[in-house]
Order: sequence, then structure tokens, then C-alpha cells
Amino acid sequence: MKLYIKYNINEACKKIVEEQFEKLAIDFDMVGFAELNIKKNLTGIKLKQLNNLLNNYGIEIVESKKSILIQKIKAAITEMVYLEEKLPTSKVSYYLAKKLNQSYGYLSNLFSEVTYTTIENYIILQKIERVKELITAGELSFKEISWELNYSSLSHLSTQFKNKTGLTLSAFQRIINKRRNNND
Amino acid sequence: MNLKALTASFKSLKIIFIISLLLIIIISALSYKHINSLSQSVGLVVHAHKIQIELEQLISYLKDAETGQRGYLLTNDSVFLEPFSNARAKVNESFYSLKTLLSNKTEQQKNLDTLYILINSRFNILTSTLRFNPQNNAELIKRRKNMLLGKDVMNNIRSHMTKMNVIENNYLVESQKKYENQNYLTTIFSLLVSLFSIIVFVVSYLKISKDLLALKKANDKLIIEAALTKHAEEIGNFSSWQWNLETNTLTYSDNQYKLLGCLPNSFEPTIDNYLEFVHPDDKHIIIEGGKEVLHEKSYPTAFYRIIRKDGMLRYIHSVSRLLTDKYGKKMLIGVNSDVTEQHLSNIKLNEINRELKESNDDLSSFNHVVSHDLQEPLRKIETFISRLKEDEMQYMSEISKKYFEKIDSAAHRMRNLINDLLLFSSTNKGEKIFTDTDLNTILKTVLQELSQTIEEKNADVRSAHLPTLAVIPFQIQQLFTNLISNSLKYSKPTIAPIITIEVSLSSDKEKLFYQAESTKQYYKISFSDNGLGFEQQYAENIFMPFKRLHDTSAYPGTGIGLSICKKIIENHSGFIYAEGTLGVGAKFTFFLPFQ
Amino acid sequence: MNNESLNILLADDDEDDRLLFEDAFKEVKVKTIVSLVNDGIELMKHLNASIENLPNLLFLDLNMPRKSGMECLDEIKSDERFKNIAIAIYSTSASEKDIEETLVRGANIYIKKPNDFSKLKKILSEVITINWQYHTSALNRDNFLLSI
Repeated sequence: MKLYIKYNINEACKKIVEEQFEKLAIDFDMVGFAELNIKKNLTGIKLKQLNNLLNNYGIEIVESKKSILIQKIKAAITEMVYLEEKLPTSKVSYYLAKKLNQSYGYLSNLFSEVTYTTIENYIILQKIERVKELITAGELSFKEISWELNYSSLSHLSTQFKNKTGLTLSAFQRIINKRRNNND
Repeated sequence: MNLKALTASFKSLKIIFIISLLLIIIISALSYKHINSLSQSVGLVVHAHKIQIELEQLISYLKDAETGQRGYLLTNDSVFLEPFSNARAKVNESFYSLKTLLSNKTEQQKNLDTLYILINSRFNILTSTLRFNPQNNAELIKRRKNMLLGKDVMNNIRSHMTKMNVIENNYLVESQKKYENQNYLTTIFSLLVSLFSIIVFVVSYLKISKDLLALKKANDKLIIEAALTKHAEEIGNFSSWQWNLETNTLTYSDNQYKLLGCLPNSFEPTIDNYLEFVHPDDKHIIIEGGKEVLHEKSYPTAFYRIIRKDGMLRYIHSVSRLLTDKYGKKMLIGVNSDVTEQHLSNIKLNEINRELKESNDDLSSFNHVVSHDLQEPLRKIETFISRLKEDEMQYMSEISKKYFEKIDSAAHRMRNLINDLLLFSSTNKGEKIFTDTDLNTILKTVLQELSQTIEEKNADVRSAHLPTLAVIPFQIQQLFTNLISNSLKYSKPTIAPIITIEVSLSSDKEKLFYQAESTKQYYKISFSDNGLGFEQQYAENIFMPFKRLHDTSAYPGTGIGLSICKKIIENHSGFIYAEGTLGVGAKFTFFLPFQ
Repeated sequence: MNNESLNILLADDDEDDRLLFEDAFKEVKVKTIVSLVNDGIELMKHLNASIENLPNLLFLDLNMPRKSGMECLDEIKSDERFKNIAIAIYSTSASEKDIEETLVRGANIYIKKPNDFSKLKKILSEVITINWQYHTSALNRDNFLLSI
């Protein structure tokens, strides 16, 4: 038997992180999507224990300053795509710069250097991911999805989807459905 | 009139016959009664007259007696007494017969009795008168008195007789009246019955003659049909037989013998005789089939071989059916067909189909070879060329560079050929789903796709309003693309291309020319341009794969585009042709059917 | 998870293709470790022997002797141990049927082998960076479909 579930990755991750911290009795606050405030400085051993526990779930503690910032950018983008009711219509560059309190030029350069892709590409990738998720959930029509993700039109969404995945929306949907049927 | 109606008609005839018989019996009975009462009535009259005559006779006898008596009284001659005494005997005689005549009438009997008394007293008076002595006056007076008395009695007798006559007459009149009444009714009734009978007879006559006519017609038809069946059997190579299961006798149609290569009725139709002709290996089919029929299991169809009298092997297909007539008698009827030709051509067809399938399989494996195996080395050639181009070209001599470019373009051309070949073969394969499609929308999409070239060439595409048709949309899109890009490609360098698309309905003449299905309607759509055109003699060649009219350096291409167009049109059960004039332009016209 | 370089494996029976593949990776920005196997049987052997250090991304040729890419795909997809391997089909064919069939069976990426070396570099680079994002950004790999 196969079950299909719908879940909020962010919530799940948050829960897992919370549980690990509680296991080690570390006081913390969630600041943002992937940023935590530790009240007391951790010893080397405790940090290693925490790292090991988190690694079980594929979660890592980011160490370098650059990586932290990249993580913040990604978190901001994810938050923007997933959590905002509707994507901001204002320029993304402006949104990110304001949110992270850094110049967009700096963020963009840093992002490309570390992730081998541009912020713009990453946003598109995240949006496409969101589109895939919505198609997989099967609750919204393509038209509604395009509206939800602030595409100017369905054909804009279709073109972008095709450009990025090499597949049309309906081909994607068909493949996902066939995969499910095969597994049942 | 069919047989069933005739049978019904015979039934109604039977009913009419019975009715007629009854009517005749009724008429006979009535006539008998009528005649009977007539003779009775005549008898009554005769009877009445007899009585009258007898009464008158009685009077005359009395008168004779009187006359005799008077004569004796006058002459005293005893000669006169003779009639007197005779009369007495005669009166008695007459009286007796009267008594018999009136035996059944009580009133007249009484009257007769009274008359008898009267007559007796008359005779007594007559007799006593004779006893008086005529010489004696006193005796004479007495005699006179006696004679007067006799006269009175005589008068009484007369009046009494008259009375009796009147009674008898009245009775006669009354009876006659009664009979007359009765006879009147009988006459009317028998007249009516006769009239009705006449009508019945006339109707039956008409009906019988009509039935006879129908019977004759049916008979004629039957004769014609029998002849037709015989003829049909000969032409259609089949025969019929009947097997009466009650009497176990077989009947063959003439062609049954002919199918076996024999003359009609040249042998007795029995299963054993028939088996003589059946191929030894197939005899069991007939034998088992016959057994099954006898055990009423089934009435099989059989396929078997026979060897004709002339030794030829033929294939027979036999179908039978059980008939049960209305008396419950069972009869198996069957048709044997000589299916040798069909059977042999079926075998041939299967063989051809198998070959076709094989060659199709070959073709598809060829396609696979082309699409995969040929592409592999070509792809590598191209890839290594690109690597060389990128890294090594700078070190090459001019001549090497030139040759290298040629290798590159040849490889590129081969790539295009393979791709087009694949496209061409895939036009035949894949799903062919016809959907109602607005051709204007397709044209719009095509023009959008080609917009860059159209702009570059400053081309003008003018289209009439296109119909909505049940087509395979992506194929029609391919068709439009190929035709328009063909026109754009072979345009005159100095003149802006004009492509005109026209639509009309096909004429009957055109349909006839292309041997189209006459029941279908076709749209005739043409794409014409003002480009380079071509000589009309090449009009058919250009639809053949890889046929080109121009050299590849001036007009690159593989020459597959128009053959794909032709294939697409054929997939839509349509027709395409090309017209061209060198230096003036080309026109491609195709026909697409619609419901 | 090795955050520094992407572990890549190519299964292809064609020597030239393996050579071109290796060369192309020299110019890709993402740090990669490329391993090569010659056919399906060897591929499965290799995977079973390196459970501790499985490739992040497997390039799989469909048309291989002994064991075809399709068979390998089914085998890998039915093995829990290999669930984190992203699979890229790397084939000469570009038929719709092959693309859909392999993606339905669980492949993530379908690449038609290009006929130009610079295109090959571009495509591989694109695949690697996108796949990299899936590895580093916790994207849903079940939905990861790409056809180039």
C-alpha cells in the first residue's frame, strides 16, 4: 500500500531541529527560517554532539560566514516563495537587500561564487519547485498556479517551466501520475 | 399472394362450402314443406267437393225414390217401385261414404246423424204412403196428408244439406286461407334464403377465381424462382440438399451433382454415395456430422475437401439447418458451397500479409538502425569536429581549414537527412487522432513560428477563411509549415514573396479524376506563390523523398518536406498535386475530406 | 554529506563517449569526482561495492550490452540503499517514448547526447548545478525532473 502525504518541509525541519536541541537541553530561539540564537555558548563536545544528531536528518551547522549568508539568502527566497501569500511584486533585489541588510550586488556575487548559480536562477528554481509541488498536490489548475506564483500569464509559466525542466506542465503531471500508478 | 394467405383462403372456402350446404338443406326443407301443404290444400278441396257431390248424390237418390214412388202411386205399376227400393240401397251406400268422409269432423258428424234421421223418416213416409188405398177417399186424404208431410221432411233435408254444404265450404275457405298464409310466408322466406345463397355463391365464385389467379401467379413465381435458384447455384458455385430425417431420404439439387463433376441424377443421392467423392482424410467430418445430426446434438457446418469425378480437388463449405414442419416432421436442409477459389486466395492473402508484416518489421528495424545506430557514429563525428574547431582550427593550414569546413557541412547535411528521414517515417507511425480543428488557428501558429523568416523576406501571406475540419492537428501544422517555408525558401531574391491561400469545395469532376469516394465532400485548399516555380514536368517528382530540383549549395535542404506533405494528406484520405511555371510561381493544391 | 564536491558516475559502453564526458567535466565549475564504468553489469557491481561512498549523480546510457540502462534503472530504483542517487539518463535517442518511460520509472534527468562538444559542456554544467541545488537546498528530489 502507498500513502501520499502533504507536508510542510519548513515545519517538519523546525520540529526536528527543536527536538534535537531539547535532547541536549540547549536553550535556543528560532530567529528566521534557518537561523537560531543560542543563549549560552556551547562547548566543543556539545557542538559535536549536536552536529551528529542533526546530521542524521541531513541538517548541518553552517560554519563559514559566507555559508551563513548564503543560507540566509536561500532562506529568504524560500520564505518568499513558500510562505508569502502572494509573491512580492516589487523587485526581488530590493526585497532581498532590505531583508538581509546588504547590497544586492554583494549578495549576488557571493551567491554565484558559492552556489555556481545566480540568485535569479535560484528564485526561478524555487518557484518551479513550488509549481511542481502544487501540480503534485493536484488541487490547483495550471492557471490558478500561475496566478498563485505571480506569473504574468499561464503561457509565461508554461514557457519557464519548459525552459527549466525540458518538460511541459502536462508532461510533468502525466509522469508524476504514472509514477504513482506504477507504485500502487 | 403467398402460401399462408392461400391456406387461409382455403379455410374460408371450406366455411363457405359448409354454409352453402346448410342453405341448400334449408331451402329443400322449406320447399318440401311448401309442396306438402299445397297438396294438403288440394286434398282438402277434393275432399270438400267429394262431400258436396256425395250430398247431391244423396238428394238425387232421394229424388229417384220420390219419383219411383210417384210413378207407382200414379200407375200402381210395381215397375216404378224398383228405383224406389234401389234408391234406398244407394242412399245407404252414399251415406256410408259420407260418414267416412266426415269422420274427423264432429260438427258435420252430428249434422250427418241428423240428416240420417231425416232421410230415414222420409223413407218411412214414402213407404207408409204406399200403404194407403187409393180407392178409399179417406185413405186418399190420409195419403195426401202423408205426402205433404213427406214434402216438409224433404225440404228439411234440403235445407239441412245446404247447411252442411255451407259448413263444408266455410271450412274449405278457412283451411285454404290458412294454407295460403302459410305458403305466403314460406315463399318469402325461401326467396330470401335463395337470394342469400346466390350472394354467397357469387362471393365464393369471385373469391375462388381470385384465389385461383393468385395461385397461378404464385405458381408462375415459383417456377421462375426455381429456375433462378438453379441458375444462382450454377453461378454461385453452390448447391442445396434436403435430408428427410423421418424417411432418411436425401434430395439433391442439380448443382449438387455438378459440384461433384457429375450429371444431374446420375447416381442415387445417399450419404454413402456422396462419401465416395469426399477426400479420404475428410470422410470422418461427414460421418461424424451425420451422427451428430441423428443424435440431434447439433446441426454443424463443415469444411472439407472433395475429389470430383474428373479428379480435381475442391474445398466445400457446408451449412445446414433443421426444419420442423407443422406436423412435427423433421428435415435437414443444407447448402454446400464450393469455396476453393476463396480458400486458395485466403491462403495467398495470408501469405502476403505475413510478408507484409515481415517487411514492415524490417522497415521498423531499419528505422531503428537509422535513428540509433547511424546517429551514434555521426554524433561522434560532429562532436569531434566541434572539438577540433574549438581547439585545433587555429593551427590548420588554409587548405585544411577549407576541407575541414566541407567535412563539417557534409556531416551537418547527413544529420539533417537522418532527422528528416525519421520525421518522414514517423509521419506514418504514431497515434492518428482526428479532432475537429480550426485550420485558421493552425495557420496562425505556423505563421508565428515562421515569423522571423517571413519578416526577413518581407513576405505577405494572404489567406481566405479556412474551414474547421476533423484532422490530425500536428500533422496539418506540419503540412502548413512545410508548404509555407517551401514558398519562402524558393522565393525570388528581388521580389517580396506573396503566398495566397484559397479554399473552395471540390467539383465532381475533380473527385472523379482523383478517384475519390463520391459520397464524400472535399475541401480544396491551395497555396500559391510568386516564387521561382518549376517546370510542370517535375510536378510529380517533387513529392518523392529526397528528390530535389535545386542544388544543395544554393538551396540547402533534404528534399523530404513535400513528401511529408504528401504523406500527411494521404493520412487524411486526401489528394495533393503541384502546378508550376518556371520563373512565375508554384501552386500546391490539396483536397481534404469532410463529413 | 560531502559538501565540497559532487560524486559522479557514468555508465556507458562507448569509449569515445566516456572520453568526451570526462573531458567536458574538466571545465565544469562545480567540483566533481567522476568515475566511469563500461556497462550495466559493471555498474551494479560498482554500486554494490561502494555503499559507503555512493555517487550523488549517475549518468546512465540506455543502450548497453549485457544489461541495458533501463534494467539498471529498475534495479536501482527498487533498492532502498540507492534512493539518494539522482539518475540522469544519457542517451542518443530523443524519442518522446524513451523520455517519458525513463522518467516514469524514476529517472530524474533525461539528456540527449549532443553532437557538439561545447553543447555537451553546457548541458553537463547545467545538470550539475541544478542537481547541486537539489543537494544543497533541500529541494524535493522526488519531483526532480529534467529533460535536455
